[in-house]
Amino acid sequence: MNLINSTPTGIMMIPLIIPLICAILILFISEKTRYVREFFSVIVTAVSLWAAIKLFKIGGDNLELVFSWFSSHKLHFKLDYLSMFLLFSVSMFSFLISIYSISIPNKGNPKIFYFLLLLTQVASSGVVLSDNLLLMLFFWESMVIFLYIFIYISSNSQQTKSTALKTFLINGIADISMMIGIAMIYYITSTLSISEISKTKIIMTGWGTLSFFLILIGTLTKAGAFPFHTWIPQAALYSNASFMAYIPAAIDKLLGIYFLARISLHIFQINLSVQIILMIIASITIIAAVMMALIQTDYKRLLSYHAVSQTGYMILGISTLNPIGIAGGLFHMINHATYKSCLFMTAGSVERQTQINDISKLGGLFWKMPATAICFIISAAAISGIAPLNGYFSKELVYKGTLNTGYTIFFYAAEIGSVLTLASFLKLGHSVFFGKLNDNLKGTKEAPLTILLPMIALSCICIIFGFGAHLPLSKLIQPSIVSIGYIPHTELSGFHLDNLFLISITIIIFSLTLHISGFSIYGKPYKTSDHIHYAPIIKNIYQLAEKGYFDLYEIFKRIFKSLANILFKIDRFFDIVIDKIPSNISIIFSSQISYIHRGIYNYYMLAIFIFVVVYLMYLGGIKW
Amino acid sequence: MVIDLLSYSLIPMFSSLALPFFAKKNIRIAIILANVALLSGFINISYLIINSITKPDIIPIIDPLTVFLIFTIYTVALAISFFSTYYGIEKEANPISYYSLILLSVSAMTSLVMVRDLFSLYLFVEILAVCSFALITSDIKSNSIEAAIKYFFLTFPASILIILGISLVLASQKALDFEIISVSTNIMTMIGLSFVIIGFLIKSGVVPFHFWTLDVYQGASSPISAYLAGIITKIGGIYAIIKISIIMKYYPVETISSILLFTSILTILIGAFGAIAQKDMKRMLAYSSISQMGYILAGVSTFSSTGIIAAVFHLFNHATFKTVLFLNSACIEKQTGTTNMTELKGLEKKMPITSWTSIIASMSTAGIPPLSGFWSKILVIIALWQVGYIKSAIIAIIASIITLGYFVLMQRKVFFGKLAEKLTEIKEVESPLLLPVIIMSLMIILAGIYVTYIYSYLEKIM
Repeated sequence: MNLINSTPTGIMMIPLIIPLICAILILFISEKTRYVREFFSVIVTAVSLWAAIKLFKIGGDNLELVFSWFSSHKLHFKLDYLSMFLLFSVSMFSFLISIYSISIPNKGNPKIFYFLLLLTQVASSGVVLSDNLLLMLFFWESMVIFLYIFIYISSNSQQTKSTALKTFLINGIADISMMIGIAMIYYITSTLSISEISKTKIIMTGWGTLSFFLILIGTLTKAGAFPFHTWIPQAALYSNASFMAYIPAAIDKLLGIYFLARISLHIFQINLSVQIILMIIASITIIAAVMMALIQTDYKRLLSYHAVSQTGYMILGISTLNPIGIAGGLFHMINHATYKSCLFMTAGSVERQTQINDISKLGGLFWKMPATAICFIISAAAISGIAPLNGYFSKELVYKGTLNTGYTIFFYAAEIGSVLTLASFLKLGHSVFFGKLNDNLKGTKEAPLTILLPMIALSCICIIFGFGAHLPLSKLIQPSIVSIGYIPHTELSGFHLDNLFLISITIIIFSLTLHISGFSIYGKPYKTSDHIHYAPIIKNIYQLAEKGYFDLYEIFKRIFKSLANILFKIDRFFDIVIDKIPSNISIIFSSQISYIHRGIYNYYMLAIFIFVVVYLMYLGGIKW
Repeated sequence: MVIDLLSYSLIPMFSSLALPFFAKKNIRIAIILANVALLSGFINISYLIINSITKPDIIPIIDPLTVFLIFTIYTVALAISFFSTYYGIEKEANPISYYSLILLSVSAMTSLVMVRDLFSLYLFVEILAVCSFALITSDIKSNSIEAAIKYFFLTFPASILIILGISLVLASQKALDFEIISVSTNIMTMIGLSFVIIGFLIKSGVVPFHFWTLDVYQGASSPISAYLAGIITKIGGIYAIIKISIIMKYYPVETISSILLFTSILTILIGAFGAIAQKDMKRMLAYSSISQMGYILAGVSTFSSTGIIAAVFHLFNHATFKTVLFLNSACIEKQTGTTNMTELKGLEKKMPITSWTSIIASMSTAGIPPLSGFWSKILVIIALWQVGYIKSAIIAIIASIITLGYFVLMQRKVFFGKLAEKLTEIKEVESPLLLPVIIMSLMIILAGIYVTYIYSYLEKIM
C-alpha cells in the first residue's frame, strides 16, 4: 500500500491495483446479496476515474515507475499525454458501463461479469500505461481470456459458445502474430522500451516491415478492422448489450487505435507504400462494413457493423501521418467510443424493455421511451457526422488530413461511407422509434434510471464535444499528438464554414433522398435499404457476404475442415496398414493354428514322428 | 554338495510314501503333511538362497543352479498344494493320492535337478512323467482322462529317443557321468546327446512336438494345469536341455544350436499367434506357455553363458507368472463355472485381486518393465544378439508385442468392460486362495526390482 500514496506515481498505479484487488474481493461477496457487487464495482471504477482526472490536474507527463524483472529487465510504467488520455477514457467507460450493467438482465452471472469488467479495466489501463512492450503484451493478451468469458457467460446456447470460440481464436491468433512482431522488434533493437525505441524509430526494411505488419494484424484485430472484424457482428447477436457497449464499442477501439498510433507514429518510421496500404485497409473497412450495416435488421448487429466501419475513419486518420489527420483519428476514436457505447446502450435498453432485437418487429417507441429515443437520436446524429455534434468535427479533421495527403480517392470513399452511415441510421431510427406502434408494444415503459443515466451522460458528452470541440482537442488530443512528436501547425478546433461543411449538407440531403425513395418504394421503414440490397450486382455480393465468403475465419474453417478430412483419410490408411492388416493376418493365422490343434490324436502322433525324423536327418547332416 | 541338498528330495519322498498310511482315516492329515513338508522345504531353501545372496562370502553356494531350481520347484509346489487345499480338490480327486503324487513329483523334480549322470536324469524324468500322468487322471472328468492318455502316448517317443541317445553315449564313452561326457568330445557322444535333446524337446512340448500340451493343460484340473505348465514340463523337459547344453560346452554345437534356434523361434511364433484367437482362457494360457517355452529354448540355443542365465531366469519367471495366471483361471472357474472368455466380462469389479494379480502376471509375461519377465526376455534377446542371431532377436521382440496383444485382449474380455448379466452375483474367492497368487505376484514385482541381485547370483551357475 506504500505504492498508493498521494504522489503522482502512486496515483498512476491506482487504476491498476485498486480494481485488481477489488475484482478478487467481488468473488467473495455472497451470492445472496443484491446490488452489493454492482455498487462496489461502481465505486471502484469511480475511484479509478477520479485517479485519471487527478493525473490530468497534476499534468503528470513522463511519470515513470520501474520494476526490475530478472534484474536485467526493467518493466516500465510510463505516463505521457496520449496514455493519460486513454487512461481517462478507459476509466470513464468502465465507470459508465458498471452503472449501466446494474439493470441489464442477460449479462450472465453478475459476480463474474463485474469481476471481468474490473479485470478488463486493469488490463486496458496496463496496456496504455506500459512503456515496456513485454509488459504491454502481457496486459494485451490477458484481455483475450476476459473477452472469451464475457461472451461465454452471456447465455447457454450453442451459438454463444461457438461465438466465444470464434472470438477467442481470431483474437488469440492476432495476439500471437503481435507477439512474434514484438519479438522481432527486440531482435532489431535489442530493447523493448517504447520510449527508447521511439528515439531512433525502426525503419521499414526487411525485418522491420514484417514486424510492423505482424503487429498491425494484432492492432487491427483489436480495433476490429476489415478483415479481422467478423467476430463483432456475431457477438452482437449472441451476447449482451453491456458487453457490446463496453468492449467492441469502447475499449477495443480505444486500445486498438491507441496502439496503432503508437506503432505507426511512435515506434516505426512508416513509408509511403505502407501508408497507402493502411489507407486502403481503412477505406475497405469503411465501405464494406457500412454496406453490411445497411441491410441488417437486427438492432445490435447493425450497430456492430457500424462499429467496424467507423474504425476505418480512425485508421484513415492515423494513416494520413499529418497532425490534422492524426488528431482527427484520435478524436474520432474517443467520439466513436462515446456515441457507439451510447447506441449499444439504447439497444440494450430497448431489448430489456421489449425483449425484441429485430427492428422489423419494433416501431413507434418514441413516446414510450422518450429518453432512450432522444439519446439515440443525438448519438445517431453524432455518428452520422451531423454538425455540430462531435462526430462532425472528428470526421472533418479526418477528411482534411486525407485531402492533405493528396490521395482524394480515399476522401471519396470516406464520404460514401458517411452517406450510407446516415442512411442506415435513418432506417434504424425510423424503424425503432417512429412509424406505427405495434400492438404488442403498447405496454412498453421507459428503462430504469441506472440505464438512462449513462446514456444521458454519453449523449451530453457527444453534445459537449461537439459544441465545445476545442475543449477535448486542446486538452486531450493536442497534447497527445505532441507527446508522440507531431506538432500541428494550424488550429484544430473550431467550426469552419468551408467546402467540407457544404459537402456534409449534401450528404445529409443525399441520404435523406435514399431513405425517402426506399420508404416510398417499400412502405416499411425497415425495408428502406432494400433497393440497395437487391440492386443487380450488389445483390450477389451480399449473398456471398452473408454466406461468409469474406470471413477469414469461415474461410480458414473450411480449409482446415478439408485439411482435417485429408489427414483423417491418411490416418485411416495408416491405421489399415499398421493395425487392420497385421491384426487380420494374425487372426487368420491364429484360427488356422487352432484348426490344426483340434485334438485328433492320430495327426498329433503322425506329426511328432515326421518331425522327429526330420530333425534327426537334419542333425545327421542332410540339408536342403 | 548333492548330499547336502538330498533332504529336499528325500523328505517329500518319504512324506508321500507315509501319507497314505497316516491319512487313511483323516484327510486333513494328508493336507497338513503335504503343506508342512513343502513349507519347511520352502523356508529352508529360501533361507539358503537369501543368505547366499546377502552374505556370499560366509555361505558359499557350490551348485547355485540346483539351489535356485529347488527354490523354484518348492515355490510353485507349495503354492499349488496350498491352493488345492482350499480349492476343494477332494471334489475332483482322491486327496490322498493327489497330495501323495504332488510330494512324489516334487521329490522327482528335486532329484532331477541334483543328478550328475544321464541315466539318473532319465530315471527321474520318467518318474516325473508317471507322476504327472497320474496327477492328470486324478481329476475324474472325462477330459482329464483324454488329456492323460494324450500326454502318455504323445510323449512316449521322447522316452525312446532318450534311451537310444543314452545308449549311444554309453557305447561311446563307457560312462554317463556329466563330468566325463563334458570333457571328452566324441562324434558318437554328440549324436547320442542330440537324440537326448530331441527327446527332451518332445517332453518340453515345443513346436513341432507341442500337440499334447494344449489338450493336457486345458483338460486337466486347473491347479494341475498350473503345476504342469508352471514347473513340471519345465523341469522335466527344458531343464534337461539346459543341463545338456551346459555339458556340451566343448562340443561343436552349430547344428544343434541352429535346430534349437529354429525350434525356439517357431515355438515363440506359433504359440503367440495361436493364443490370439482362443476362446478358452486355459487354452490361451497353454498357447502362451508354449510361446514362453520358446524364449527359454532360444536362450539355450545360443549355448552362451548369457543365454543359459537368461533361460534359467526366464524359467523361474515363467514358473511364477504362469502359475499365477493358471491359478487365476482356476479361481475364475471356481466362481463362475467356466473359463470360456466369451461368457466372461467385467470381472474386475467383482474379483479385483484376481484381476490385478492376473494383470501383473500377464504384463510380466509380455515383458513390461520393471516386472521380472522384462529382464529375462531382454536377456534372451541380448544373448541372441550377441551370438549373431539378429533376425531371431527381432522376431522375439515382435512376438513379445503379440504377447502383449493377446494378454490385453484377454484382460479386456475377462476383466474389463461391462459386467456380464449373469455374473452379477459373483464374489471374490476366499482369501486363502488369493494368498499364493498375491505372494507370487509380489515375487514377480520384487524379482523385477531387485534384478541385479538375481543376475549376480545366476552369473555363478556357469
